[in-house]
Amino acid sequence: MSNQIAILLAVLLFPGGVFALVFGLAMKGVDRRVAARLQSRVGPPLLQPFFDIVKLGFKRTMVPAAANETVFLYTPLVGVVSMLIAAALVPITSVYAPDAAIGNLLVLLYLLMIPGIVLMIAGSASGSPYGAIGFSREMALMIAYEGPLVLIAAAVAIRTGLGLGGWATFSLNDIIAYQQAHGSFLFDPVMWPAVAAFCFFYPANLGIVPFDIPEAETEVLEGPLLEYSGPVLALFKIMSALKKVVVLSLGIALFFPAAPAGIVGGFLVWLIKMAVLMLVGITAVRLSMGRMRIDQAFVFFLKWPLLLAVASLAVVVVV
Amino acid sequence: MGLIPDFKKIATRSPWIYRINAGSCNGCDVEMATTALIPRYDIERLGCQYCGSPKHADIVLISGPLTVRVKDAVLRMYEEIPDPKVTVAVGVCPISGGIFRESYAVLAPIDQYIPIDVNVPGCPPRPQAIIAGVAKAIEIWRERL
Ligand code: SF4
Repeated sequence: MSNQIAILLAVLLFPGGVFALVFGLAMKGVDRRVAARLQSRVGPPLLQPFFDIVKLGFKRTMVPAAANETVFLYTPLVGVVSMLIAAALVPITSVYAPDAAIGNLLVLLYLLMIPGIVLMIAGSASGSPYGAIGFSREMALMIAYEGPLVLIAAAVAIRTGLGLGGWATFSLNDIIAYQQAHGSFLFDPVMWPAVAAFCFFYPANLGIVPFDIPEAETEVLEGPLLEYSGPVLALFKIMSALKKVVVLSLGIALFFPAAPAGIVGGFLVWLIKMAVLMLVGITAVRLSMGRMRIDQAFVFFLKWPLLLAVASLAVVVVV
Repeated sequence: MGLIPDFKKIATRSPWIYRINAGSCNGCDVEMATTALIPRYDIERLGCQYCGSPKHADIVLISGPLTVRVKDAVLRMYEEIPDPKVTVAVGVCPISGGIFRESYAVLAPIDQYIPIDVNVPGCPPRPQAIIAGVAKAIEIWRERL
């Protein structure tokens, strides 16, 4: 029973729920502010994403005549809930360890696919041709990046599993404990291809500029989100904020969980890593690149990240 | 009860902007793009953001004299913008037709078809004037929320 309460708290308060939401939105605010400064603009206030969400709460929700109303209105909820649960699965070294019953890498992989699927369903339920284009692009992109992700996860799991004397371990707690004992995978040459592949994976998963093809606002007018307005649009913004926290935090857990013991130290180190990952991996990349075409992105993903991921898996199994 | 006005105040700090070109000569559109994109006039500091979809918009900037051909499209687009919204007419074209006023192809003034809240005259108006117009529109928007 106390087990279930702990899981519920993790989903609703920390590190999921309220905390992940506030943190994700704050990250977005910092990202926009830093981006503005790098372009020598003043930029929006740091709390801008919060203002946006409140504002959307006041707007009217319109359902297009061609849309399937139920699907149109309720799919974003599925996405938000999946990301809340996912946030509760990712451990933070010496701060939070998910319950052994849920802290599983495979479960996380499935949960991470849901926002993409939600976008696809939402886009096609809206009945808009732009939504349909967004749908097909999202699908192509997902096919391209899910493969490398699964291989990366397998490489990490097998490396840990072999190290622990078994075959593969998908428990995130074990993965972190192993790295705490034997050094982070980031400094392990065997794992470098996987790290590199992950660096390609997460901009695509988060829809950041070189890979924001399904939602390109200048081409397909934000694709699947085109027909959404008001509170339902806010749900999508919340979903993507949560997803950002989950994916970055997962990256830290998989490759660089090293942190001092103690809650305060662990949390501070996690914060610093998140900030660095976001500023280098998201803001800088977003500002310095143009958007790829969907065919270019597809070929790109089937070439480099997939190759790297396969290489990492092979190396891990052989070495 | 006291919370709602506070939230409204917060909400007015996030006006999203959408542009409708109702047959403008492009002069006004260039000015509008400049106000947003050039660091010097950065309107993101007011919380503004250009959005690609009319359904996300709060403040609509309309430029051009509303030509006969685009009228239906403009009216339909205007309907797509969820309430509460505020309309800003940019340039002298929407007010009177400007240099196109005697043309048979022009339906200006635009406020016969669409309620206009703020007029920003000029041909084209200066970026500062457009920003002032947006700021005024935000005030009007606050009352409508
Ligand atoms: S007001 Fe002047 S610049 Fe603006 S659209 Fe009309 S003619 Fe062009």
